[in-house]
Amino acid sequence: MYVSVDQDACVSSGQCALTADDVFDQRDSDGVVELLDATPPPHRQPDVRSAAANCPAMAITLRE
Amino acid sequence: MSVATEPVQLPIARPNVLDLAPLYEVLRREAPITPATTPAGDPAWLVTRYAEVRDLLGDKRLGRSHPEPERAARITTAAVQNGPSGNYDTEEADHTRMRRLLTPAFSAKRMRMLSGHVQHLVDGYVDQLVADHAGAADGVVDLRAGLAFPLPVAVICRLLGAPERDRERFHGLSERMANYAIGDDAQRARAEFSAYMTELVEAKRAEPGEDVLSDLVRAQSEDPSFEYAEMVRLCVGLLFAGHETTVNRIGLGTLFLLTRRDQWRALTDDPDGRVNATVEEIMRLGAPGDLGLLRYAHTDLDVAGVTVRRGDAVILSINAANRDVSVYTDAETFDPDRAERTHLGFGHGAHFCIGASLARTELRIVFATLARRLPDLRLACDLDDLEVSPTLTGSLTALPVTW
Repeated sequence: MYVSVDQDACVSSGQCALTADDVFDQRDSDGVVELLDATPPPHRQPDVRSAAANCPAMAITLRE
Repeated sequence: MSVATEPVQLPIARPNVLDLAPLYEVLRREAPITPATTPAGDPAWLVTRYAEVRDLLGDKRLGRSHPEPERAARITTAAVQNGPSGNYDTEEADHTRMRRLLTPAFSAKRMRMLSGHVQHLVDGYVDQLVADHAGAADGVVDLRAGLAFPLPVAVICRLLGAPERDRERFHGLSERMANYAIGDDAQRARAEFSAYMTELVEAKRAEPGEDVLSDLVRAQSEDPSFEYAEMVRLCVGLLFAGHETTVNRIGLGTLFLLTRRDQWRALTDDPDGRVNATVEEIMRLGAPGDLGLLRYAHTDLDVAGVTVRRGDAVILSINAANRDVSVYTDAETFDPDRAERTHLGFGHGAHFCIGASLARTELRIVFATLARRLPDLRLACDLDDLEVSPTLTGSLTALPVTW
């Protein structure tokens, strides 16, 4: 799995960071997504898929 | 059943607090955007299909303000989501500033840090429920008064820096503001809430704390484009939405689980493993109120073959979208194991609920703790006997349970 994020589309909801805080973080200043791990291990992938599906800005793209 | 040529009269009555009228399925299929008459008697568009509701939530051609507010369609006589709000010319800039100011305080990281405190509070409320249960002759306790209400209130008071001892006062004002069956009294309640909030923010100005109200007072004093009335309106909105919505959601979630014993049993067997998916299903299927999120078109736009004119009111039915059979298998069934992972329970796009991380944190801790500590929990009345108040959020007045 390869993860990418679109910081311009991000609306700072933080739902990805709540779901998978080892893969996504929020910038302190404005809450915009920061990608911590672009290639998460298999056991984290279900949460990463949830984060992508639930992103209210559709700012997370997965390539599998 | 087919869709009438007359506008749909809102609100569409529901069979009970958990289910929606079958008419929504007909509308989604045959008229996903349809003319409607608001409870106030004005014309609006009602949108019911998932794809259109989601797209319009994320569409910047609609907003909460109106180009000519005095000519805008009114929705209800309540003082929340009753008509246009904010300034048409500055709405986007105002919204951007509001999100920038509030996002850090409601970030996922901050909510994670708060979770120990939330767990401590929930444990205390459950301890008290257990003691009340032991002392009650009939063994019945009110889960609303003992947990669903005090928890979100305590948490939002701590975040905002509002005094918890005022909870009956601001909750009473919130209920009246959201009530569409009391005429002008809803607007009087908003005025009273604004006066109460003005006292509160002025107390913060004199003695700032590490809380959101103090942050907003400081930001307003440093930014000439940030009007005082706008700050007060925002603070009222935070205290209103910060408790009312979660109180209701705890009630709805409890009802879904206790009227579906197999789902409750599954949760009590594995609280930590199942609680997140259970909470998401509560967010999808819980359907507070009988209207939807309100927007006004800021330009003409075409939606599913219908032309919406600039200034038209558009009511986005989250309740209907979240039960769309073209998106969800067995859409009306409460099933945390479903394959579909998305819902619009917190909205979508730029106006996505800023308190979503807070709500998810509270709901996960509440339902995991109830499942762990009160596995034999059951309703102590029939679903049909529960009283629902005539407010936009359709809150339960009591939730009698036993075990």
